[in-house]
Amino acid sequence: MARSTTLRRPARDRAGRRGGPLPYLLVSPLAAFIVVLALVPAVYTVVEAFFRVQPLNPPVAFSGLENFKNVLSNATLQTSIGNTVLYVVIGVTASTLLAIGMAVTLQQPFRGRSVLIAILVLPWALPGVVEGIVWGSIWDSNTGLFNSILHSLHLIDNYVVFLGENRFLTILGIELVQVWQITPLSTLLILAALQQIPSDLYEAAALDGASRWKAFRRVTLPLARPGITIAMVQAVIATLNVFDQPYVLNGSAATGSTVTMQTYFVSFQNLDFGAGYALSLLVTIATVVVSLVILKLVYRAVEY
Amino acid sequence: MRKSSHWGRRIGVVAIAVWSLFPLYWAVNVSLQTPAQAASRPAHYLPPTPSLGNYKALLVGDGDLQQTVRRATVNIFVECASATVLTVVIATLAAYAFARLQFRGRTVLFYVVLGTMAFPPYTTLIPLYRILSDVHLVNTYTGIVLVYASGFLPLATWILHNYMSALPVALEEAGRVDGATRMQILWRIVLPLARPGIVSTAIITFLFGWAQFLFPLVLSSDISTQPLTVAIAGMQGRHLVPYTLLNAAGVVALAIPAGIAVLMNRYIVSGLLTGSVK
Repeated sequence: MARSTTLRRPARDRAGRRGGPLPYLLVSPLAAFIVVLALVPAVYTVVEAFFRVQPLNPPVAFSGLENFKNVLSNATLQTSIGNTVLYVVIGVTASTLLAIGMAVTLQQPFRGRSVLIAILVLPWALPGVVEGIVWGSIWDSNTGLFNSILHSLHLIDNYVVFLGENRFLTILGIELVQVWQITPLSTLLILAALQQIPSDLYEAAALDGASRWKAFRRVTLPLARPGITIAMVQAVIATLNVFDQPYVLNGSAATGSTVTMQTYFVSFQNLDFGAGYALSLLVTIATVVVSLVILKLVYRAVEY
Repeated sequence: MRKSSHWGRRIGVVAIAVWSLFPLYWAVNVSLQTPAQAASRPAHYLPPTPSLGNYKALLVGDGDLQQTVRRATVNIFVECASATVLTVVIATLAAYAFARLQFRGRTVLFYVVLGTMAFPPYTTLIPLYRILSDVHLVNTYTGIVLVYASGFLPLATWILHNYMSALPVALEEAGRVDGATRMQILWRIVLPLARPGIVSTAIITFLFGWAQFLFPLVLSSDISTQPLTVAIAGMQGRHLVPYTLLNAAGVVALAIPAGIAVLMNRYIVSGLLTGSVK
């Protein structure tokens, strides 16, 4: 790809121009923000995960792995870990497959493509919590659109409770709302990769008599891997941290609650900050590990 | 192109449009109905007697609900606009230094800033709450705006750095030959050239701010500073309002970012790709 993550040395800035306070003045506000409001809090999280920090039960005291043992042996939390795994698997799979389909649809220029991209981006641009609320009237068990459609098609005799009873249905319904939000970015990332593919590769495939499916399998998919990798990693980060949609669609009920929601309840309702830190740390580690696994499995460097 | 591909694409185009728009249409549709109409089986796919009654009930009048919604709308504007200005100004200055100047510690600082993007955002929520309480900034505009800016700065800096690095240096060289200072070059030459990148960054930052929920739920949940997202979730959580009204509130909260997304689409797409393609 055209851009590189490496920070290139500015070619025109020779040693003679080095020095002077200006660069430091320019970066100091950024540095101050990052140190005070990102690095210091991150260090807090890592360190205090090993301390008992309960405002109603002072003092703060070192407690070793106590917080981790407590949270991991808690039944509600175990359920929410299982739930979160389901959210991630459903969300990453669905958003990636949908995004590949959408990116392929948009790969060749056609009249109205830019309008369609504008429409496609919409769900990404909107707040997840409000999306959860408006999707509530699609999943609703008394008046919901989806029930109405299924009933009109005679697929069900009575309206079904989608959210809050059956664990799998609940998570599927909620995660679909998040998939709706995160798929546009995945599509753009994959589309950017597809647009780098030289068209003569497709012409060569056609000359060899390859079917469209075969061209997709042998040309499009392998060359889209860098884009698919980034799309999957951002989907992992979003789904592992899912909060807004289950919070408004299912409340604190165990059928759909996630680790991030438990972190919120443990920290700000039970006021056990130590346990909250431990949970945050576990989610962070899980995010890094799963992202690295995807990088290893999916990413292949592409050169033209 | 073969015929089959035309049909394949047509199906794809219709599917993308329906998937992206239908849930939004449904929210508008429900918001224009009375609770009785919205409860009908089968559902009304068009409002039988479209009425703005829900919007009036939400926005006009002096009850608790209307005051909360109006206040929360003001709050979300103030917080998003302030965070956007702060983020864009700080990120532009830093991005210029990273893209064009040499200084000790430049590489380390750059990677540390980008590295913070790898934290899941909620890792820092609890410590931020404790830090803000210590300095009495919970439930203040200042507190939430500072937190937003710290969260949005890494991506903004990254997008602007990539954008500025790609600009031709010839004009800046010419400026230097003419004796312009570094700040004059930044102000008169780089900023005008980087304007599309700055606009993209500003729009993306504003949309991120508008979408926040968990951070303000914890850090600014008081009515004096709570943004519209938190207010609407609160209305829903207490089951105080019929869901026709809730959908009207949802449409109000979606209208601004949806309008921006449609009108400024070009900037959003280019900004996201500058920011994420590595």
